[in-house]
Amino acid sequence: MKFIPDKDILLFKSCLVNVEYPGIESSTCYIFDRIDVDYYVDERQSCCTGLGHYYDLFDQISTTALAARNFHIAVETGHKNIAVMCATCYAILKKSAKILNQNEEARNKVNEILDDSNLEKREYTQGDMDPAQNIFHVAEIFFNKREEISSQVKVDLTGLRVATHHACHYCKVHYNDTIEGVRDPNLIDKLAEAVGVETIGWYDHKRVTCGAGFRQRFTNKEASLAVTAGKLQALKENKVDLLLHMCPNCQMQFDRYQPYIEEKLDTEFNIFHLNISQFIALAFGADPYKILGIQTHTVPIEPLLKKLNYSLESNQKVDVKAKKSIN
Amino acid sequence: MKTIKLKKESVQLVKDVLKDIKASPDLGIYKCVQCGMCTSVCPGARQTEYDPRDMIRRVLEDDETVIDDDNIWNCFSCYTCNSVCPSGNNASEINQILRQMSIDKGEGMKKIVSFAAYGDSFMELGVGSIPNNFFDVMVKDVGPGYMDLKINIEDIRADLGLGSYILPENAIDEVESILDNSGFKDRLEKIKRCK
Amino acid sequence: MNQDSSKDISNKDLKIGVFLCRCGGNISDTVDMEKLRSSVDAEVVEEFENLCSINGRKIIRDSIIQKNLDRIVVAACSPITHEKTFQKYINPLNPYLLEMANLREQCSWVNPDVETATEKAISLVNASIEKVKYAQPLDPVLRKTTKSAAVIGGGISGISASLSLARQGIKTCLIEEQPTIGGAMVKVGKLFSPEKLAEECAMCLLNPLVNEAVEHKNIRIMTNTTLKSAERRSGNFHLLIESKPRKVIEDRCISCGKCAEVCPVEVKDSWNEDMTFRKAIYKPFAQAVPDVYTIDLEKCKNCGKCQEVCRMNAIDLDMEGEVVPMTVGSVVIATGHKTFDMAKRPEYSYGRHDDIVTQMELARIMGVNGPTQGKLLKPSNNKVPERVVMVQCVGSRDEKPGGRKYCSKVCCMVAIKHANVIKQHYPDTDVIICYTDMRTPGMYEKYFKYAQSNGVRLIRGRPGEIAEKDGIFLVRLEDTLSREPLEIEADLVVLSTAMEPSDGTINVSGLLDVGLTEELFVKEKHSKIKPVATEVDGVYVCGTAQGPKDITDSIVQANAAAAKISELINGGVELEPFVASIDQSKCNLCKKCIDICKYKAAYIQDGMLTVDPISCTGCGACIWECENNAIEIMGQTDEQIIATIDGMLKDKKPEENRIIAFLDSVGYVSADNIGINKISVPSSVRIIKIPSMNRIMPKHILHAFKMGADGIIMGEYPYNPMYSRTKEKIAGLKEELVKNNINPDRLAFYKVYIPYFRGLANKFKEFDGEITCLEKG
Ligand code: SF4
Ligand code: SF4
Ligand code: SF4
Ligand code: SF4
Ligand code: SF4
Ligand code: SF4
Repeated sequence: MKFIPDKDILLFKSCLVNVEYPGIESSTCYIFDRIDVDYYVDERQSCCTGLGHYYDLFDQISTTALAARNFHIAVETGHKNIAVMCATCYAILKKSAKILNQNEEARNKVNEILDDSNLEKREYTQGDMDPAQNIFHVAEIFFNKREEISSQVKVDLTGLRVATHHACHYCKVHYNDTIEGVRDPNLIDKLAEAVGVETIGWYDHKRVTCGAGFRQRFTNKEASLAVTAGKLQALKENKVDLLLHMCPNCQMQFDRYQPYIEEKLDTEFNIFHLNISQFIALAFGADPYKILGIQTHTVPIEPLLKKLNYSLESNQKVDVKAKKSIN
Repeated sequence: MKTIKLKKESVQLVKDVLKDIKASPDLGIYKCVQCGMCTSVCPGARQTEYDPRDMIRRVLEDDETVIDDDNIWNCFSCYTCNSVCPSGNNASEINQILRQMSIDKGEGMKKIVSFAAYGDSFMELGVGSIPNNFFDVMVKDVGPGYMDLKINIEDIRADLGLGSYILPENAIDEVESILDNSGFKDRLEKIKRCK
Repeated sequence: MNQDSSKDISNKDLKIGVFLCRCGGNISDTVDMEKLRSSVDAEVVEEFENLCSINGRKIIRDSIIQKNLDRIVVAACSPITHEKTFQKYINPLNPYLLEMANLREQCSWVNPDVETATEKAISLVNASIEKVKYAQPLDPVLRKTTKSAAVIGGGISGISASLSLARQGIKTCLIEEQPTIGGAMVKVGKLFSPEKLAEECAMCLLNPLVNEAVEHKNIRIMTNTTLKSAERRSGNFHLLIESKPRKVIEDRCISCGKCAEVCPVEVKDSWNEDMTFRKAIYKPFAQAVPDVYTIDLEKCKNCGKCQEVCRMNAIDLDMEGEVVPMTVGSVVIATGHKTFDMAKRPEYSYGRHDDIVTQMELARIMGVNGPTQGKLLKPSNNKVPERVVMVQCVGSRDEKPGGRKYCSKVCCMVAIKHANVIKQHYPDTDVIICYTDMRTPGMYEKYFKYAQSNGVRLIRGRPGEIAEKDGIFLVRLEDTLSREPLEIEADLVVLSTAMEPSDGTINVSGLLDVGLTEELFVKEKHSKIKPVATEVDGVYVCGTAQGPKDITDSIVQANAAAAKISELINGGVELEPFVASIDQSKCNLCKKCIDICKYKAAYIQDGMLTVDPISCTGCGACIWECENNAIEIMGQTDEQIIATIDGMLKDKKPEENRIIAFLDSVGYVSADNIGINKISVPSSVRIIKIPSMNRIMPKHILHAFKMGADGIIMGEYPYNPMYSRTKEKIAGLKEELVKNNINPDRLAFYKVYIPYFRGLANKFKEFDGEITCLEKG
């Protein structure tokens, strides 16, 4: 079992968490505060370039140079352990750290770029960031503290049929670092277990990607949504109520497009989507609007909360809910 | 009929692929046994004409037309192939390298020009996001609430106790300067001209 | 000289005879024999045309007797060619009182110039004279081994090895962990026979062997037992064998089975791959040997019901286990394999569905003594499957975490065998094998063709996953030949799982101190020329403990292991006595030599450090570790090395360069090859043969430089077990030179290979050039 830290953590901001599901960040902080994880957020940290990288818009050197800058911010502020909420950040940062450590030519090039930008102080020295020892997904930090998590549970979430969708870029890119299974990933299943919820475990398509495929969602929409639909279909066959996520990009694909796919296929999936942080925060009794941020979801979470007899008091001005899907 | 000539033409493509900055030091392309396990788990292969195993074969056989093959743009970058390949190969990584080769040749720029707005946003704010030219279609697919979200995001964040997602001025300057010196700015301009 | 001078004087009294061979002109055409003769200082110096001819024997022997010679130097061809001959020719002297000077391969043939060749010849002869003064009479090591063996593992390999040993009159103890012998072979049901294109009954082939083993007076079968500890002493092994209590008295039990009828405890039956149940008191299968019942200690509830019904009073619930000591001369590891743990490849859904099975489970299903009495019925519903899909290379040829990088070697044939059996009995059942490569070498190809003509279908592609939908399996793969992603519907899926080293293999190897491969199979001493020997002398391996293989190969290997043991016992093996010898008065038992020795030759016996002369290669690595100077290598003592160096450097002229090349036996043969191919070599080079570069210590190097050497070369074959240490040593030697104000560039280290002699010749030339440059400053 690899070492997972609980202090000196830079909570790495993600572009899609920022503007699509900011509740993932507030939920993560909410949990960290309650399980004794020492973390820090730095407003200067730039985005990892992930989407742009996989749109093939960014070149590897630019991505790596920006990673070097972010690594420097982490090291400089004494928060060398990076925890990400997004699987794309996870893979991109690890890849960049590997290149910076292993590829001297690329490292020199990156340092040249930093010098040219008057950022000599942010130069990268080999070994500054250890891809295996310093870069983690938030879910791994939770996993390491699952006993503390269990002890904080205030809301009974049993009675739901829960399945998990493990982000590809967490499991399959740097698979030697992945914990709790690559070919049958179980990391968030174990976290659900920690809050007292037994998941359905394996199902056909469990390993399959969400379908976003970066560019595919926009340039190849049919193929992209066919993949998503295949997975939703398999979940429906398993009578799943709730799908847990660990990446905002996957969550978008399912949450934003489920109503659309339902309409196209003339079917109903009726599956709720929550990030694992939101799910744990919910179990801790966090406020759905002030912490979980369910107001930014497309598939409304309110019916789920009602099912759980959760009291809903907030009065929200914004409502992203799909008008088409009436639950 | 194809002939493998006695007089060796140097097999260049696979060497270029392995030299690419994206290529992991242990990338096992030479060890590929063409078993098709990658293709069997590939969402791109299931939905389109793309075939990662065949892509690897063409690279190994020095078939440069693979770079211009539209099918390489159907990969989801999901790395499922990477997670199962019994030979230590990584079709996903090779796909990304081929795409960059196509972009460098110019052809591939057409494939990515629609994502250029991501780069603009990055340089302006220090964060990327869904390129705004796709908002309309997203609003159409997802519903008008999606536009509300975009408009009110900072308020929602404030409700959640989160600060602004946009980087402070001097941080943006750093990012912009890096992207200028890394050549990204030029690259982006070139891509945009492709329209 | 830092030598003991009194010894020097006594050595001077020795009468040394030097015999020079002209080698029919091969030597004398290039070397000025007159000058050589006159430069040699010895009691007798004689010159002959062909010393190796039968006349040579008479000449040498007469001279020894008439002149009372004590030591002999033969200056002729390479010792590789004729040392053994001349060792015989010097009878009545001890054969080890001979030294040879290699005037042909390493002098006349590589040095066309008469003057320098003669100079070189003189120094080679001098070196041999100096060295032979320190030679001591030695006896060759004769390996004698106790006429007994232990075979660990009672599968087909262990049974075959035991039988072969027993038939050769060797007392053999067969140790098996399970309550019965037979191993995996008894479970497989049918064996393929490529000649007959038919399947034979495994049990029918095995049973006679088992019976013979049971009956054989030289074999003692111990089931329910494991190896607990092992200690090796002077070629023998002292073993402790632990047996679990069977709780049934073997001599009384008549195998009536009444006990099992009343036993209330149901246990999954591993003999049927957990597909059926047995009781806590059981006999694994009808023909089990020994033919008695056994109580499963983990599962028995001690209710005593069985005891009540047993009319033979055979059951003793209080029976205790015992630990038995035994001493044997040799050990055979035949601990077999286990099959791949399917939890590591969850995408194949094994364990989620009853009708996804391994080939071994299919073998049980189709075994006449299996759960369905040989009928091919699906475990879930007892119906004949409509389509069987077999997936090849499951866990094999797989670099991903948990996978096995190697090919498991038998699964292609097993799949074909099962496919053929299905096709013969159930022609309506479709059989598809999904493969990456079909590996059916040799005669098995015929059987493969037979399967094809039986209508077995083959699809080339490695499945990525197996799903289930509405009770039908979907095997997902790409048909790589038609470039098409494919889903095959099936109602029975069979996985050809990898062979893995068994836990027993790993444990037993640990206890015997035997090395394992990266994949944790038992490592052979040499995969080509010593395939059944292990790193520990006297321990042999056979069967799948050593790596994946089929029954035929296992039996062949078992017989080979038995033959090797028999060689040791009957003929005995005569070995060169150039091994480590310990001065007990100096040794303080620090054990550092034991740790360093990769050949595991040193051990402590009765409070004394002992070197097993059979295992020791005389490499000298231990000398470095010994702070008390308690170790010498016979035939390569410090005195002998120093004397040889002195001889090589004697009468060096001021303007002349001399380079000493220490070569191991591979390097020495390579240097001979330079001569055989008449490639010229700088006249400065003087070669000294040393068993391993580990033997060369700073004092030898410093002495050589002090005595006038201009440069030193060390050459070693890189694939010997001590090589890794040699490399560290060289760095240390260079540092030592720096400390003594000698330019470290004067010491060079090369890898040597027998066929790569041209490379070595070039190295000699280059180094000679470098030294000349250094000399000129
Ligand atoms: S890349 Fe890997 S999985 Fe794909 S065909 Fe080659 S060896 Fe098989
Ligand atoms: S990364 Fe691309 S090639 Fe690999 S499985 Fe995913 S879609 Fe297919
Ligand atoms: S132990 Fe007794 S009852 Fe059981 S098989 Fe043996 S003789 Fe029969
Ligand atoms: S004592 Fe043990 S073996 Fe005998 S009947 Fe009871 S449970 Fe079975
Ligand atoms: S024998 Fe055949 S099935 Fe078994 S590992 Fe080798 S190629 Fe694969
Ligand atoms: S000389 Fe070498 S082989 Fe012999 S005991 Fe010493 S280290 Fe072992």
